[in-house]
Amino acid sequence: MKLQNELQLESALLETRRHFLKQCTSGLGMMALGTMFGSCGNGSTKKQLVANPLDVKIPHFAAKAKSVIFLHMCGSPSQLELWDYKPELAKLDGKPCPPSFLEGKKFAFIRGVPDMLGSVGVFKQHGQSGAWMSDYFTYLPQMADEISFLKAMYTDQFNHAPAQLFMHTGSARLGRPSMGSWVTYGLGSENANLPGFVVLTSGGKAPDAGKSVWGNGFLPSVYQGVQCRSEGDPVLFLSDPNGLDRDLRKKAIDALTAVNQQQYEEFKDPETLARIAQYEMAFKMQVSVPEVMDISKEPTYIHQLYGTQPGQSSFANNCLLARKLVEKGVRFVQLYDWGWDTHGDGKGTSLEFGLRDKINQIDQSITALLLDLKQRGMLDETLVVWGTEFGRTPMQENRNGKKMPFKGRDHHTDAFTCWMAGGGVKRGFSMGESDELGYFGIKDRTHIHDLQATILHQLGFDHEQLTYEFQGRNFRLTDTAGKVIRNVIA
Amino acid sequence: MTFLNKLLVGTVAVCVLAYGYHSLSESEIDFNTQVKPILNKKCMACHGGVKKAGGFSLLFEEEAFGKTKSGKPAIIPGDAAHSEFILRLTHPDPEKFMPKKGEPLSKEEIETLTKWIDQGAKWGKHWAYQAVEKPAVPSNSWWKFWQNSWANNDIDHFVAEKLKEQQLSHSQEADKATLLRRVTLDLTGLTPTEKQYKAFLNNPASNAYETVVDSLLKSPAFGEKWASMWLDLARYADSKGYEKDDIRNAWRYRDWVIKAFNQNMPYDQFITEQLAGDLLPNPTENQLIATGFHRNTTNNDEGGTDDEEFRVAAVLDRVSTNWVAFNSTTFACVQCHSHPYDPFKHEEFYKYMAFFNNTRDEDVMDESAHLRFFNETDQKKLDEVAQWVKTSVSETKSKEIVHFLRTVEPRIYAHNFDSFQKGTSEPSSYMGMQNGGTCRLKNAPTINKSRMLISYVTAQVGGSIEIRTDSLNGPKLAVVKLDTAQGRNFWNGLTLLKWVNLPNFSTRKDLHFIFRNPKLATETQDVCLVNWVMFLEDDFPGKGKEGYETQFKHFNELLLTRTENIPILLENPADLKRTTRVFERGSMFSPTTAVEPDVPHSLHPFPKNAPRNRLGLAQWITAKENPLTARTLVNRVWEQLFGTGLVETLEDMGSQGFAPTHQALLDYLSYRFMDDMKWQIKPLLKEIVLSATYRQDSHVTDELLEKDPANRYLARGPRVRLTGEQVRDQALVVSNLLSRKMYGRPVMPYQPQGVWQVVYSGSKWNQSVGEDAYRRAIYTYIRRSSPYPSMLTFDGSTRDVCLARRIRTNTPLQALVTLNDSAFVDMAQHFARRMQHEGGKTVASQLQKGYEWMTGHALPKPKQEVFEKLYQEAFIRFQKNPKKREDWMCNSTAESAALAFVANTMLNMDEFITKE
Repeated sequence: MKLQNELQLESALLETRRHFLKQCTSGLGMMALGTMFGSCGNGSTKKQLVANPLDVKIPHFAAKAKSVIFLHMCGSPSQLELWDYKPELAKLDGKPCPPSFLEGKKFAFIRGVPDMLGSVGVFKQHGQSGAWMSDYFTYLPQMADEISFLKAMYTDQFNHAPAQLFMHTGSARLGRPSMGSWVTYGLGSENANLPGFVVLTSGGKAPDAGKSVWGNGFLPSVYQGVQCRSEGDPVLFLSDPNGLDRDLRKKAIDALTAVNQQQYEEFKDPETLARIAQYEMAFKMQVSVPEVMDISKEPTYIHQLYGTQPGQSSFANNCLLARKLVEKGVRFVQLYDWGWDTHGDGKGTSLEFGLRDKINQIDQSITALLLDLKQRGMLDETLVVWGTEFGRTPMQENRNGKKMPFKGRDHHTDAFTCWMAGGGVKRGFSMGESDELGYFGIKDRTHIHDLQATILHQLGFDHEQLTYEFQGRNFRLTDTAGKVIRNVIA
Repeated sequence: MTFLNKLLVGTVAVCVLAYGYHSLSESEIDFNTQVKPILNKKCMACHGGVKKAGGFSLLFEEEAFGKTKSGKPAIIPGDAAHSEFILRLTHPDPEKFMPKKGEPLSKEEIETLTKWIDQGAKWGKHWAYQAVEKPAVPSNSWWKFWQNSWANNDIDHFVAEKLKEQQLSHSQEADKATLLRRVTLDLTGLTPTEKQYKAFLNNPASNAYETVVDSLLKSPAFGEKWASMWLDLARYADSKGYEKDDIRNAWRYRDWVIKAFNQNMPYDQFITEQLAGDLLPNPTENQLIATGFHRNTTNNDEGGTDDEEFRVAAVLDRVSTNWVAFNSTTFACVQCHSHPYDPFKHEEFYKYMAFFNNTRDEDVMDESAHLRFFNETDQKKLDEVAQWVKTSVSETKSKEIVHFLRTVEPRIYAHNFDSFQKGTSEPSSYMGMQNGGTCRLKNAPTINKSRMLISYVTAQVGGSIEIRTDSLNGPKLAVVKLDTAQGRNFWNGLTLLKWVNLPNFSTRKDLHFIFRNPKLATETQDVCLVNWVMFLEDDFPGKGKEGYETQFKHFNELLLTRTENIPILLENPADLKRTTRVFERGSMFSPTTAVEPDVPHSLHPFPKNAPRNRLGLAQWITAKENPLTARTLVNRVWEQLFGTGLVETLEDMGSQGFAPTHQALLDYLSYRFMDDMKWQIKPLLKEIVLSATYRQDSHVTDELLEKDPANRYLARGPRVRLTGEQVRDQALVVSNLLSRKMYGRPVMPYQPQGVWQVVYSGSKWNQSVGEDAYRRAIYTYIRRSSPYPSMLTFDGSTRDVCLARRIRTNTPLQALVTLNDSAFVDMAQHFARRMQHEGGKTVASQLQKGYEWMTGHALPKPKQEVFEKLYQEAFIRFQKNPKKREDWMCNSTAESAALAFVANTMLNMDEFITKE
């Protein structure tokens, strides 16, 4: 069929093409151009037309990881309770904070002189690597030898919304594209029937910075993250309206194709062909998305492994979904779990109770995710990142100079822990050290931009070359900074 | 010398001159179009505004020809052979070869640069930085003669000239229905009604089209459409942004924009009122509302944020937005370093920022400074107070009192206090002070102030504040006994006020506040929470005059009463003026040299006698010598109509932006816009939509697609996908649901459950009922952290930052919106009912009617067949299965349900989603 051929050849998006053309000076632009014109061999008039902006593109160099699952704990769990073992801090528990820690420092809530607070967690070493983890975890220690810790992470921002934006867009202000958008812009999408960049949230709330953390910023909106939901439509507006059968919807799509084709023959506007293709893809997505989002057909052992219950909106379900999505070729899966802001101003936000509850919600499922990926032989090419926007102070918070009802810590930028597993990073490795009290990073510090550079590197990108020209300047995820953390790469 | 000799010499001289002129004109290298692009691409990364490797930069003329680190200039005009700049391009020593990194220059590029230097290395100013001059209309050729039959106005001559260059020819005029739909969508954002189609299609008059254009320009819908474009630039939203993202009451600004377009407000006035309405003499309410433009910046209420950090962030945003919105210039990069490619220096960013760094707003939770709106009773009271002051004192005083009561500024918020003991300044801009607690307001603006006002709340009886000057043991100024009140707090806008007398100090003073209440039950209880203090020169005027007590009482009540507020710009009084400093590498944490307000020196000078504030800046921006302002607006308007600007990069006309396709046309229209049209947008629009260029058919041929796929040379009419707003609004028109109600609070049409999940905020999406569910898209509530989903899917802005251009995309998610979104399903059902009622008895006639409403055309036979078949399929199913029928459409028959299903499909037609 003539139209089908043309569709394959063209699937044209002129606007997007011109956008890509503007990138000619950057590496990516050249590549995009290559794939754009490379496949056009049939008839000179079609040469100008372009492939879909989500067509698969080749990164700068051979990638170690095909996809990324980023688990973000919104609110920032305390590194001192979970990963960063500080026996010296325990000795100072209850004593006033030394003035040298406070000079010239600004805190979100601490005022005056707070007391030091020893860890609530009891630490032990695990696995052959001897990784430190606290008794908050029951399951995860068995995966200790898969993990690479970054124990001297630091950031510039001590408020949640700007810090989350910083972690996911490289800038603390609104308006920049998110990491997943950059990756989708650079790689395209492997599975035409699924979005290339999927976002899953749990904990009952969206991240503090709102949907901007998966926004496309100044990139075209095809690259924005698509939120898949456990309740209601898995993707907004995905379900057919009530009372419409699939086959009836199919007839509507066919009718539209026929009518739009007549329109194309009259106007010859390539946009019309693109629209026909998008409607057909939408129809396929209506099947493929619910399919992948439905975990009820997973075998019992999988549910037992993850601790999942179909129909629920939970972090565990999202972990399982993340694995399914990656398996289907989704490049970037971003999980946000809300409720980690442990100030100690209530039981739910306390280190001794609230934080344990939260860990209990993720411990088994994160372990399951790593195990499951490994058993399927997918861990090697899937980079799992566990992270958060900043750390917590070694001091007990004293909000407005007053004593808090529970144990809790204030926001802290100078030292915190993130970790990675799979996707070509070292197994059973730990990098970076904080001082005796877990206050400052003193060895191998790694910045947010370094982590971003590293994630892009594992996907095959030079973070300095993955750029987009906007307002006369080449923008990139890592702004003007960022160094790949070579040490952590296998 | 004989006559003959003279003649010969003369002739030779003329010949030589002529020859010289000829050869020069043939190959004279143009700096802007030939040299600058090479420099930008190959040299400026290391020798530009950011890096000046070897002390050599090509950004400014004086730098390019100045001495480099070697002590010698790199470019010797007229002597390429001895110019290091050229020698290095082919240098055999790899250490000296340039460019050091990146691709070497091609032979042609080196030739161009060599020639340019040999010809004298004439420096040029980028086209967009040269004042607009009126170009001659291309006219002196047989071409025009031939074209005359086509051209409607001067625009067409410019277009025709380019078409000729490109060996293209124009298209026919579009048919009447297509043209009416196009121009109605473009001018009002709506699709024509049945009545509009009929009137136009049946009007044979030669000026029928012009008549329609005139009436569309007069339609109230005009402002609603054009405001959409402006609100993207103004980053207008109904919430503050960031974590809490609470409601912001800014809709009066949105209404101001709509009205300004409808009133055809001259663009220079439009800019001035938004930038500096508060600085105009006796600003009106509307002029103050207009300053909401720059209060649309985000505000961060998150607990623990540094207000100053986000105040500065807002000011930086205002600078960048100003340049993008008014001048299509990317200035944001100058925040960190000199512009890499355009002639703007690092410190010029901060000089420009100094214009904006002096407003009252400080990222506080209540978003002051704001304009207060009183309820009816209070407004009467205010009018009474004003009248009394006018008759008892003076008109000037009366105006001052009204302005004061409507703004209650300048407030000095708690975050300006320091030296806290037993108490703290909270992140949400108030301070909580315990018994015996103290704090200081350093360097308070006390000179010639007779009164201090303290805003606070407490429910504890027995509290007091003692105020001392100079130190905690310094002279006692006053002891204030605190009143108490239940249920008053900063969040409901109801605080308590206390007046303190001041002795008209002749210097600024440090004021120390000591809080006491021995009756408090616990040590950690607060005596009170203080929100702000204020220093005033005068008392309420008219003391001793009859009625003073009553009016002073009213005055105090009005100060305290709860009002509805809209954020505005208000300039600091002289004693609160801020110093603006250059931030090293753009970081507010590294302030360096102090600077005064100024504009970049590479552009036209600041107007003489203009004040060095935002008002003066507005004069500079709207001066006819400003090379960018009119061009920017004309280019935006062009893009709205044709889908692409004459300069495609709406956000950047600088040397990194795209070159204009029709610079002469852009200049011609810009000149006329300022001069003949007196900055009015309606005549500009009229001229463009009346042109033959605009009225062309949008059919494309294989040949055209090959030669000009993106239609940059305009050999055909525009064919462009509609905006998110238009997609919604036109569907409301054909389904006869559209509410024509204008203005007011944002509305909440259907939105799926669970879209709003914002932290620490009780805000909910309360679906609007009645006609408010069917208002135009411009009235939909915009929450930054969670924008209206269907609008976002159709490339709408999140309104976080200024957006100059929506990049159109074409995605399956868009298909899902118009197929499945309940809002669109609802419209389809109403559309079907309308077809049944008004479209005759047969399905065929109903479909005919529906298609006519949508496009103005008769439904072509092949399409009719497709839809009738689809109708039959649906009809059979719905007849067989009444349950499904009712699920799909309540109280339906198989006929209406099937028709609604077809209607739903028709609303998705490419020709409907597109402007043809």
